[in-house]
Amino acid sequence: MRLTGYFIVFSSFGIWLGLEGLSAHAEELDYLKHVKPILKSRCYACHGALKQNGKLRLDTAKRGIQGGSSGPAIVPGNPEQSELIRRVTAQNSPERMPPEHEGAPLTAAEIDTLRKWIQGGALHPADEQPEADPRDHWAFRPIRRPPIPKVKNAAWVRNPIDAFVAAQHEQRGLTPMPEASRMELLRRLYFDLIGLPPTPEEIAAVLADKRADWYERTAQGLLENPRFGERWARHWMDIWRYSDWWGLGSELRNSQKHIWHWRDWIIESLNKDLPYDEMIRQMLAADELYPNDLDKLRATGFLARNYFLFNRHQWLDDTVEHVSKAFLGLTMNCTRCHDHKYDPLPQLAYYQLRAFFEPYHVRLDVIPGETDLQRDGIPRVFDAWPDDPTYRFVRGDEKNPDKSRVIPPGVPELFGVELPKIQPVSLPIEAWQPQRRPWVISDQVENAKRKLKVAKDDLAKIRKRISFLETVTTPRTSPIGPPSPAVKGGNRTDSVVIETFESLNTERWQILGGEWAFEAGRLEQKQDGPKRSVLRLRQPVPQNFEATLRFTLLGGSQWKSIGISFDTALADPTRDPTAVDHEQNVYVSAYAGGPKIQASFSLAGQWHYPPPPAMRLLPIQLQREYTLRVQVRDQLINAYINGIPVLACRTPQARQDGCLQLFTFDARAVFHEFRLKPLDANAELWNPSDLALEAPPILHVEDAKAELAVAEAAVAVASAELTEIELRAKAWQAIWSRLEESHQRSTFDAAIHAARQLKVAQARHALALARREEMRATPDKKPSAQQAVQSATEALRQAEANVPADIQANEKIPEFQGARWTPTRFRSSQADDPAPAFLPQSTGRRSALARWITDPKHPLTARVAVNHIWTRHFGTPLVPTVFDFGRKGQPPTHPELLDWLASELIDSGWSMKHLHRLIVSSATYRLTSVVPPNEPNSKLDPENVLLWRRTPIRMESQIVRDAVLSLAGVLDPRMGGPSIASDDQASSKRRSVYFFHSNNERNLFLTLFDDALVTECYRRDQSIIPQQALALTNSRLVLDHLGAIAERIAQSVRANQHSSSDEAFVNQAFLVLLARVPSGEELRDCLQALREWRKLPESAAGDGKYNRFAEENLIWVLLNHHDFIMVR
Amino acid sequence: MLDRPSFWTRRQFLSGFAAIATGAILHRDGYGRDGEWVPPDGKPHFPPKAKSVIWLFMNGGMSHVESFDPKPMLNKYAGKTLKETPFSDVLDPKKLAIERLVVPDANGNLRTTLYPLQVGFRKHGQSGIEVSDWFPHIARHIDRIAVIRSMWTTDSNHGAQTQFHSGRHQNDGYFPNLGAWVHYGLASLNDNLPQYISFGRREYWNSRDGHYLGPAHDAVPLRVDPKNPLDFSQPERPVSSQARTIGIDLLQKLNSHRAAVSPQDTVLSARIASYELAFRMQQSIPEAVDFSKETEETKKLYGLDLPHCREFGAQMLAARRLVERGVRFIQVQHGAGGAGAWDAHSSLKTNHQNNALAVDQPVGALLEDLSRRGLLEETIVVFATEFGRTPGSQNGDGRDHHIYGFSVWMAGGGIKGGVVHGATDEIGFHAVEHRHYVTDVHATILKLLGLDSRRLEIPGRKRLDIDHGQPIDEIIA
Repeated sequence: MRLTGYFIVFSSFGIWLGLEGLSAHAEELDYLKHVKPILKSRCYACHGALKQNGKLRLDTAKRGIQGGSSGPAIVPGNPEQSELIRRVTAQNSPERMPPEHEGAPLTAAEIDTLRKWIQGGALHPADEQPEADPRDHWAFRPIRRPPIPKVKNAAWVRNPIDAFVAAQHEQRGLTPMPEASRMELLRRLYFDLIGLPPTPEEIAAVLADKRADWYERTAQGLLENPRFGERWARHWMDIWRYSDWWGLGSELRNSQKHIWHWRDWIIESLNKDLPYDEMIRQMLAADELYPNDLDKLRATGFLARNYFLFNRHQWLDDTVEHVSKAFLGLTMNCTRCHDHKYDPLPQLAYYQLRAFFEPYHVRLDVIPGETDLQRDGIPRVFDAWPDDPTYRFVRGDEKNPDKSRVIPPGVPELFGVELPKIQPVSLPIEAWQPQRRPWVISDQVENAKRKLKVAKDDLAKIRKRISFLETVTTPRTSPIGPPSPAVKGGNRTDSVVIETFESLNTERWQILGGEWAFEAGRLEQKQDGPKRSVLRLRQPVPQNFEATLRFTLLGGSQWKSIGISFDTALADPTRDPTAVDHEQNVYVSAYAGGPKIQASFSLAGQWHYPPPPAMRLLPIQLQREYTLRVQVRDQLINAYINGIPVLACRTPQARQDGCLQLFTFDARAVFHEFRLKPLDANAELWNPSDLALEAPPILHVEDAKAELAVAEAAVAVASAELTEIELRAKAWQAIWSRLEESHQRSTFDAAIHAARQLKVAQARHALALARREEMRATPDKKPSAQQAVQSATEALRQAEANVPADIQANEKIPEFQGARWTPTRFRSSQADDPAPAFLPQSTGRRSALARWITDPKHPLTARVAVNHIWTRHFGTPLVPTVFDFGRKGQPPTHPELLDWLASELIDSGWSMKHLHRLIVSSATYRLTSVVPPNEPNSKLDPENVLLWRRTPIRMESQIVRDAVLSLAGVLDPRMGGPSIASDDQASSKRRSVYFFHSNNERNLFLTLFDDALVTECYRRDQSIIPQQALALTNSRLVLDHLGAIAERIAQSVRANQHSSSDEAFVNQAFLVLLARVPSGEELRDCLQALREWRKLPESAAGDGKYNRFAEENLIWVLLNHHDFIMVR
Repeated sequence: MLDRPSFWTRRQFLSGFAAIATGAILHRDGYGRDGEWVPPDGKPHFPPKAKSVIWLFMNGGMSHVESFDPKPMLNKYAGKTLKETPFSDVLDPKKLAIERLVVPDANGNLRTTLYPLQVGFRKHGQSGIEVSDWFPHIARHIDRIAVIRSMWTTDSNHGAQTQFHSGRHQNDGYFPNLGAWVHYGLASLNDNLPQYISFGRREYWNSRDGHYLGPAHDAVPLRVDPKNPLDFSQPERPVSSQARTIGIDLLQKLNSHRAAVSPQDTVLSARIASYELAFRMQQSIPEAVDFSKETEETKKLYGLDLPHCREFGAQMLAARRLVERGVRFIQVQHGAGGAGAWDAHSSLKTNHQNNALAVDQPVGALLEDLSRRGLLEETIVVFATEFGRTPGSQNGDGRDHHIYGFSVWMAGGGIKGGVVHGATDEIGFHAVEHRHYVTDVHATILKLLGLDSRRLEIPGRKRLDIDHGQPIDEIIA
């Protein structure tokens, strides 16, 4: 007994054949039980049926006694003379067996066992059989359609599957269980074929269906439902290792960006029943078979997914391993280092298989409608390095290639299928010059047109800002600037303060903090660092006022703020900032991270900085003189910079009595002039909505001009770019359509000319930018800014001079980009490897391999596929080792059935839907999973290996989530498209198959239910762990949807015109969630619980949209019921 | 609900389980059907010396020469290139050939200008083993510790973390790590708690544990937060606790009705057991990471009052509490994120000082506390890192990755105290005496736990000899 305690892992399948059945003598048992296993695991690989090194076989004791070229290996009764003992006890290679690199030395206990056995006379069964010829292994023999067995229980048989199953039943004395109930069958079919539960309406319809063929109709309908493709794609994505990319940070190390195209191809192909052999051919070689068909090229995501940024060997190792495991059920990866220990595959076989893939690489092809490969594109493979040699690695060590011999592509002869001749494939020109695809150029043209429109829109916006500037400003006339244009009419009140700072009048100003200096007749605040420096006006201030401050900011460590405060309490803010219990500010900040103007206020020592409209980004710069005018009327505040209105807001803070201050915070600044007067009663102020500008206002006329120049230049660039693309396109088209020389020449010249004009436009744009920077530069940056303008001017001059120049013979026009290879870093992680060219030929290797794999005579391909399909319908495979059909794997439980199904698959034209239909129509599939106590079958075959009942399947992780959403009626039906990013998954209602799924980004909920590993997942686990219970009891997924599920069930009760009693609800909930009716005691307990829930105060309050508190709780219980998560 | 006796008795639970165990893992591909292999039964293969493991891992690569392997020659020849010293033979290409590159980048290169020790060393304890002054608390317990100074590995970049945990180079794919093997091989010590727990963030390349053993053998990540210690441990939306009690009661009734109808359904009984465990875990896990009943002295011992070591201290205290309650394997990662906190390519002195401040006192406290409670005898504490750091300098004041020789230490359950095992050469470059690959640490732990890694092998999942490692018998008491 094994107690993991925490984790309980189970498999619903198992055979365990011990040696109990052998009726041998005790001594012989000793050999079979203790000796033979040692020989088998440590010696057979080289001294058995597979190989006979030293002409020795040890697979029977008799042959060991016969010996090989070194004489008898076993001398009964005399261990010391037995070569076997001598060799396993030898100290050094090559004497020692197993030899170095072939296995660890035998343990002392193992040697002791061998010795004692020989000492005792090497007893063994007389009829001991040698190992069978490995080439005669069942899976390597051709598939022959077996005759359908005649069985006694013919009435039970619905199709030949059942005949094969019944034959085994009859052999072992098993009786098949009855058919499952209609409801169970319906739920089984739905989950199995589309991965979703039937809706209450679908359930009702089926229950009412009197037709005899309701089952077949339902199955057929589900096979035609597009959800079928989503469901079964996820299965094949497990086997084919679907993975979105992952890496460190944003570094692409595995898989490919946009690999979801391959997922969509899988879904679509399954839905249209694309033959399985054709699917394999497309996945391995669509680039050779359909070189210009992007839809089909998506299939090669199968190979593109193996991409690995840093190491080609790891990449190809994955490719070889999983091509052979997925399609052939062969563990070819073992032969990377040495000959296969179980299958007749030499080390060479690995490298021969690798050679098919040696030339391939990955690229992204441009798709119609998207010119940016970062956003979308088709990841696909192509042969980039046709001449790269494949070498055998000595003992698998990639650092030690055997360069004496290049290994050509090849396949093991063992399977009796000849490799089609490898013939290079000439690719149509659009495949290797993808820029010729019609949409590439037209999309570029469209894109350029879009860019031109954006540039024009930008220009229009700037013009609008400038015209706004013009309507609100008039030229400066006085030192403090013009009267506010918003002031209309006369009746102007004289200023109460006019301060030109010719001296610091301490009668007028109280100084609080700061370092103040008079130099050259101006007042400068020199204190640096995040502190306040304040000039407080000692005289009363009108309630509604207009204050104007002219200043220049010189610097500061970070915030660089200067402004006017009012309604300020009389405490000293520099001593104790929390002492300020009321104050309002309007200030500008030249903070590099976002210069702005802000109206803020302090309330009980706490500063508040309200968002727009009380704040607006504003290009305030150092070393420039600005005039800030603040108008305050009650709680409405207006502010102007240089006469331009920049702020209009209402302060939420009530007006209070207080003083007015000028202040800086973390700023060195010059104060030039200040004026204060009562606000003209007729002054019209701006309302916050009046100033809703799209962009920060322009503060200077020079700025406006510079911005305008840049925007105009940008339009010119976009326009020149469009012309250049159009003319370059004409030039390329002339070349591609081989128009006459002179025509080619003239279009070429026009394209060159357009390119030169584009350069001029770009140079002009650069110059406009440089001029703008020069204008903005602070005095210390002026020289370098001027230098930049000079360089830009010179560059423009050169560009202009180049326009009329003669066209040089070697001048070229750039290619359009139709595809881009995925850069690797095999040589150095610092830089991409040189890009390979797209070649007009592909080696033809992969298409030959694909044809070989899909040859109907291949003994493995169909068997492996059939086994995968069977596994997912029944939960248990026919061949338990789904990726190892070799001698180390397990034999099929139903060999003839396996071969019959394989023949069906092949003969139906590899139609998977044909197989699905056959399987779900069988009586075997329709068996009930309910086993009464003391059922005799249980004793004969407790693990149900011989399929006398249905083995329930735990829902796969994706299905658990999808089922909850579907029951709630909120599943988003959209199909396909980019994978849903981790951050969006919690709110997404899409099917789980569309979730981003990689090695390091996995959905937590799905992970708990044995989600597929992306590295390999030929079969899902079906663990039972307590975290699953926690997820189903506590996750938002479940809790958020209880209400909707309860509501739908209640609605369906009403629709079916049952009574709306609790009993009807419980019955319907059981039916919809568990596909059965409750037993008497189940019903009783549920009704009792409903009554108890109703007694709780929460029930009356109702906390959901539907106010079905008690019902929601019942749904919670049923979603956690064993029968919910099991597909029975 | 949790307090009253379970309707499904423990005996039934176990018997249900036994039937499951027969089928356990059988589907894992490639097992032989001729009886040469049986899945583990949860019992040790031979008498164990320890029950639990606390596996501490310093992400980024801790300098061996500034922690547990003093090299005065680095001071003597500081600033000299290797060629100018008597040690130039360390650059023997044959010795360097163990390196297997994943990422040839600016790091993980040879650094040939010797860099002096950035910290002093002092002898400690009866054994007089030298420990650097950055680890005074650990040093106090040196007589309980076996320092292995002769480790080597092959991945010169941080994928060596995967390698340290699983024994396989990243290029070989992903393999189960030691904790997963232990979890796979041994039965539970406490049915109310997960048996393999991890604390601390992990790097993406070692974010999984079970790999082909299956997700059931991944560590359960816990947080030292009694309110929310485990994903989904609390309802993600407010729920009425009374309603829930009624619900759980009903759920158990419904499942037991089913169990009565299908007594042989082992999957059903496992499901019932898993719900019971889940409900018990909802109480036992928060309790295990709730320190309210610990004394002030204990909290101070772990440095919970000190900002620089509070986080790791809490994880150490939680580790002790979990071991006390019967958790098999606790993995604590320090400083994951980016390449790892200890990755001192520059400013090694400040970097290691700060990191040591964060872990030294808590680890010292763990040893002290375990020993006071008599738990150290049955608990193996491992203090490890993916590789050491170069004797030569990088960027003027740092050291690069160094795979040819580095140190780890172990203490507790069956480990000899106060011993130094193995040695690097005079400048700490190559492990020269008793060289140990990382899996030798695994083999030592498995041996102390009573497990034979070869008997845990899953057919078809052949492990290499080096994956199994060799127990370091010299440090086993």
